[in-house]
Amino acid sequence: MRYGMLASVNPTNFMEWMIFLTRKYANLFWQGTWLTLYVAVVGTILGFLLGYLVGIIEDIKLHKEDSVIKKVLVRILKLISIIYVEMFRDTPMIVQAMVIFFGLRQSNVEIGVVTAGILVTVLNTGAYMSETVRAGIKSIDAGQREGALALGMSPMLAMFAVVLPQAFKNIIPEMANTFLTNLKMTSVLNVIGVSELFMTAKTVGGNYYKYFESYLIIAVIYFVLCFLFNRIFLLIERKLSLKSDYVLAVEYMDNQ
Amino acid sequence: MGKKIISIENLSKSFGNHEVLRKIDFAVEKGEVICIVGSSGSGKSTLLRCINRLEHQTNGKIFYHGKELRDVQKEVNEYRSKVGMVFQSFNLFDNMTVLDNCMAGTRKVLHIPKQEAFDRAITNLKAVGMAPYIHAHPAQLSGGQKQRVAIARALCMNPEVLLFDEPTSALDPEMVGEVLNAMKELAKTGLTMIIVTHEMGFARDVSTRTIFMDKGYIAEDDVPAKLFTNPKNPRTREFLSRFMAG
Repeated sequence: MRYGMLASVNPTNFMEWMIFLTRKYANLFWQGTWLTLYVAVVGTILGFLLGYLVGIIEDIKLHKEDSVIKKVLVRILKLISIIYVEMFRDTPMIVQAMVIFFGLRQSNVEIGVVTAGILVTVLNTGAYMSETVRAGIKSIDAGQREGALALGMSPMLAMFAVVLPQAFKNIIPEMANTFLTNLKMTSVLNVIGVSELFMTAKTVGGNYYKYFESYLIIAVIYFVLCFLFNRIFLLIERKLSLKSDYVLAVEYMDNQ
Repeated sequence: MGKKIISIENLSKSFGNHEVLRKIDFAVEKGEVICIVGSSGSGKSTLLRCINRLEHQTNGKIFYHGKELRDVQKEVNEYRSKVGMVFQSFNLFDNMTVLDNCMAGTRKVLHIPKQEAFDRAITNLKAVGMAPYIHAHPAQLSGGQKQRVAIARALCMNPEVLLFDEPTSALDPEMVGEVLNAMKELAKTGLTMIIVTHEMGFARDVSTRTIFMDKGYIAEDDVPAKLFTNPKNPRTREFLSRFMAG
C-alpha cells in the first residue's frame, strides 16, 4: 500500500519509478505487448509456411525424362528461391524493414505499419526457415522416401505423408528458436513506426526522461514472454516424442 | 509356364564410367520365384532397383505385360503399386505405427475404404505373425519383426510381383530364419517373387529359377537343381564352391 501511494505521487528510486511508469502507462504497455505478440506470432507462422514452401521447392529433384515445362518452371522457382533466401539472409532485418516500408510507400502502395512489420517478419523468417526445412528434409533417411515411392506414392505424397512429418518433428527445437528470436526482433520494427514494446518504452521513457526504468520494464516483459513460450515449446516437444512402450493387441495373439 | 509379367531387354546401367549392369535379358512369368545370387557389386540390387524404377537404366527396355514402361510419373506410380518391394533396411515409416504402415499404401494410393484396408492389414500381418504389434512403432521392433511388417505392408497392395532386395542381410542370424520362413510361406501361395539374396540354401530350396550374376552380366540362369549341382559357368562353380564348402 505504501509503495502504491509513493509510486503514484512522488517516486524517488528506480524501483518506484518502474512501478509508477507501469501503472501510469499500463494501457500503453499492454498494447505494446499485444502488438509485439501479434506481429511475432502471425509473422512467424506465415514465415514458417513460406519457409516450408521454399524448402520443398529447393528439394525438388528434376529427372532427365521430366517434361520441358516442368523443368523450366522448377528452375525458375528454384532461382527465385535462391535469390530470395540469399538477399534476406545477407542483410539486417532493420534495413529490410526500412527498404520494404519506404520502398512500398514510394511506389504508392498503401500499407499500414503493422502490416509492413508483419511482412518484414514473414520474409525474414521464411528465408531462415527454408534452410532449416531443407536440412530437416535431408536429415531423413533416403529409405523413407524410397519406401513410400515403392508403394506407388507420388513424390509429393511421399514428401507430405512420410518425409515432412518426420522432418517437422526434428526441426521443432529450431522452430521454437526462430519464434523466440522473432519475439525479440520485432523491436527493430519501431524504426518504421510499429508501436510494439520497444517503441512504447521509448515513448514512455521520453515523457519523464526515465529511459533506464522504462527499458527495464520491457526487458522484464520480454523475458517473461520468452520464458513462458520456452516452457510451452518444451512441453510440446515432450508430447511429440515417441512413447517408449506400446500396447500389444492381445485380440490377435491367439491367431499366431 | 504362364504369361510374362515383366520382361527386360538389353538393359545396361552405368554410374559415371562404371558399368554396373551389362546387356541384361530376362523375363519373369507368373508364379515364378526367382532368386538372384552373386557376389557383392555384381549388380543384383541395381537390377532390382531398375525394375522398380528407383534407378533409371542407361540403355535397354523394361516391359510390363508387353507394354514398355514409360517415365510418366502417373504410370510409374501405378506400376509401383503393383510391383511391390521389400528393402534390406526395411524402410518402414518411422512416423507411423505398424498398422498405419500397412494401411498407408491401401488408403493413400489405392483409396480403399478404411475397414477394408484395416482387414487387409490384419490379414497380412497375421500371415507374418505380426498382428499383435499393430500399435507399435518401427523403432520399438527388432530387425526381424520390422522386415516381417515390411513384407505385410507390401502384401497389402495385393502386388502382382514382389521384389526382395537382400531382405535378410541386415539381420542377425537368429532373425534370418523368421523372415525366410515368412517368405517360404509366401512362395507357396503362388506369388511371383524376385529375390536378391545371399542365402544359398533358401535359393536352392525355394526358387523355381536361380540367376547367377557376375560383373554386371547374367552369367547363368537355370533351375536351381541344375545351377547348384551342375553349374555350366566356371564363375558360378567358383562362387558356389565358396558358399557350399561349409
